[in-house]
Amino acid sequence: MANQQRIIRLTVTVVVVAVVIEFLGWYFPTHYGSTDTNLFAQAMFIGVAAMGLNLLTGYNGQVSIGHGAFFGIGAYITALMMDHHYDLLGIKIDHVSFLATIPAVAVISFVIGALVGFPALRVKGLYLALVTLGLAVIFPDLASRFVKGTGGTSLVALNGQEVAAPQWFQNWFPRLSAQDQWAYTMAFVFALLGLLLLWLLVRSRFGRSLIAVRDHEAAAASVGINLARTKVLAFALSAMYAGIAGSLSVLVFQNASGDDKLVTFQLSIEFLVAVVIGGTATVLGPVIGGFAVVYIQKWATDQFPSKPVVSPATFGIVLIVLMYVLPEGVVGGIRRLRTWGSRTLRSRRRSTASPARL
Amino acid sequence: MIDRRPNHRTRLRSGAAIALVMVLALVAAACSGNRSTAKPSTTSPSGSTGPTTSSTIIDTSACPAGSETTGVTGNTITIGTSVAQSGTYAPFSAILDGESAYIDYTNAKGGVTIAGKQYQIKLVAKDDAYVASRTVTNVQSLLTDDKVFALLNVVGTKNNLAIRDLVNRECVPDLFAASGATQWGNHQFPWLIGSELVPYPLEVKRFVDYLKQTKPNATIALLKADDDFGQSYADTLTQLIKGTQLKIVKTEQYDSTGSEVKTQVNALANTHADVFFLGATLLACPAALTAASDAGWHPITYMSGTCVSKVLFSIAGPPANGVFSVTPLLDPADAKNDATPAMKLYKTQVAKYKPKADLLDGIVGYGWTTGALLVKTLESAKAADRFSVMEAARTLHDVSGVGLQIPAAKWNTSADDWFVGETFQFIQYDQAAGHTNAVGGGLTNDDGKTAKLTPGDLINRK
Repeated sequence: MANQQRIIRLTVTVVVVAVVIEFLGWYFPTHYGSTDTNLFAQAMFIGVAAMGLNLLTGYNGQVSIGHGAFFGIGAYITALMMDHHYDLLGIKIDHVSFLATIPAVAVISFVIGALVGFPALRVKGLYLALVTLGLAVIFPDLASRFVKGTGGTSLVALNGQEVAAPQWFQNWFPRLSAQDQWAYTMAFVFALLGLLLLWLLVRSRFGRSLIAVRDHEAAAASVGINLARTKVLAFALSAMYAGIAGSLSVLVFQNASGDDKLVTFQLSIEFLVAVVIGGTATVLGPVIGGFAVVYIQKWATDQFPSKPVVSPATFGIVLIVLMYVLPEGVVGGIRRLRTWGSRTLRSRRRSTASPARL
Repeated sequence: MIDRRPNHRTRLRSGAAIALVMVLALVAAACSGNRSTAKPSTTSPSGSTGPTTSSTIIDTSACPAGSETTGVTGNTITIGTSVAQSGTYAPFSAILDGESAYIDYTNAKGGVTIAGKQYQIKLVAKDDAYVASRTVTNVQSLLTDDKVFALLNVVGTKNNLAIRDLVNRECVPDLFAASGATQWGNHQFPWLIGSELVPYPLEVKRFVDYLKQTKPNATIALLKADDDFGQSYADTLTQLIKGTQLKIVKTEQYDSTGSEVKTQVNALANTHADVFFLGATLLACPAALTAASDAGWHPITYMSGTCVSKVLFSIAGPPANGVFSVTPLLDPADAKNDATPAMKLYKTQVAKYKPKADLLDGIVGYGWTTGALLVKTLESAKAADRFSVMEAARTLHDVSGVGLQIPAAKWNTSADDWFVGETFQFIQYDQAAGHTNAVGGGLTNDDGKTAKLTPGDLINRK
């Protein structure tokens, strides 16, 4: 009997996932124009970065306001690899395709994340937030020092051919072959992969040790969890997510830049906002948060053009309201609604089943 | 005990859920692939068949098909622009006041006439805070969302460099980029043309000529912005003083995302050089003038033509007295010019359509003139399509009397001459009078000389 219920639940899950994939992966990019598709893609990659931050902040309790820097590193690696040709230790890297840059981005941002994670072992909470804030602030200066791009700035602009969908993709999916559709599809696929990995991670032994470390370090250590390794690994994985999100942004914006100090800083905040809106320590939350962030921003710039302060201000207001109304974010809210629903349902059922007990 | 058996109701519920989901899937599948918008041309750059019309200047064979008249709907032409309206470079938004005033004035007269038909001009402006990556995003959005016909006077060297490839690929006229950079002479990019701002090498040459006459063995201290705008000045100055006794004794660069120059200027002041050259723009100019004066350094100072603005002069105050620069335009702050019909028109119309704009600000005057140059170009186009308009901009012939253009000046462009503002006036600021004065004789006419005066690698750099 329990088996039958499990089968039903599994079927429902599979069908729901299939529909969501079909809806988001096919219906969205083929039905909406390039403007909307670009917005969806932005929501997706902000979601990916937020997933990473959620792993670090939500599950492991380490707050970072510096993920804009990892995002930027990912964007630069992808843009530079796609734009230039290099000789690396005898290996020729010549205008590589987008997908081929992803492993490089994943490895490099993972390593840099781990390097940042080590000093982060020493500080906690607000102090860690400040240290990572420094990372976000210093990144544009480092970028303009080392990257010589368009117009003498740190902007690396790609041309249409470089960011266009590759031929094999166009052959397989002729109706998704426009540039914006390709960018969206990539963002969507990596968001799915990111979700899958996150889902597996938080259910694994590592995921439980993350939560244990967050909730009580001493207790976690006493049951044999390696605190340092857990925390550094969380940082590295989280940086990897942010780096890949940066790579995806290159396909959408067709450039990578660190010339805008505000943007790197604001991005870091946006990831955090996406995590909080979606729900900390939830798997799906960051994606929902990504959509919320992108659309709040779009609303703010449409309503108040040339008032760049409105969108961060709106984020602030949304966060404050959320703290009162939905302290666990959207996903937390839905969860609460569900438990409330099933509780009332169960109590109603019980009351009809055994009125005598009352 | 709780009954673990799935009762009738739960099974019904799951069944209904599956059904609902399947229906949704069917709906989604049934209406898949109805994307109404035409696919962007970027996917098949080789497969598209562009219009066959072509000239010696602009090759349209690689242009996306079907976009020749995008932005022309009924009797309206939509033009887009991206200008800093917030942040350190917000004073550049005064350009928009001048431009929209001229466009409103033209629309009120009935509009612009192209090939016998009258059109109203609609200007869509976006804010990029002088950040190149935001300019790219803005222009992408102007092209896909606002469906603009052409771009007008996007401000900044790096900003225009960042969108140059895009406009060239999409064959969208990027008319009168607000920058005098040498790169606008690169023949690979026919869809971008610079504005009436004096090309930076000509500015430098005019000042170097002045130095040769007045102080041939001067030592020069150079302040430059850390982007291609500043680099243009540095490179041409180095090139033009070769073989003279003039010498650059120190170069300092400042962070172009801000206007903080005090440290750099102090370092330059310590050299006690005879000449202070400012390859800087906007607020960095008055900041540098003040810093030099504070450091007790009073050299012969030249400052970029992009800084010629009453607003910037008054920020600097007394230290701005005697500063040299160049301008292609009449100074609206000089009461002597008020008698000319061009200035009268400017002052009445801007006051009418943009009552908040500062009439005496040279930046507003520049915007007004750029608006007038746009209208002039549109009117000389053979047809209301992108190719004809770009071709018109590339073949301006003896254009005079545009906006606040200096009365005797003539602007020309041709297959060999890709720069507009090559006839200009050498000027010096008079702090007591509050305006600039023409110095060093009459107009400088370097028509067609920019490309020859500039080293080729400067023009063709990315």
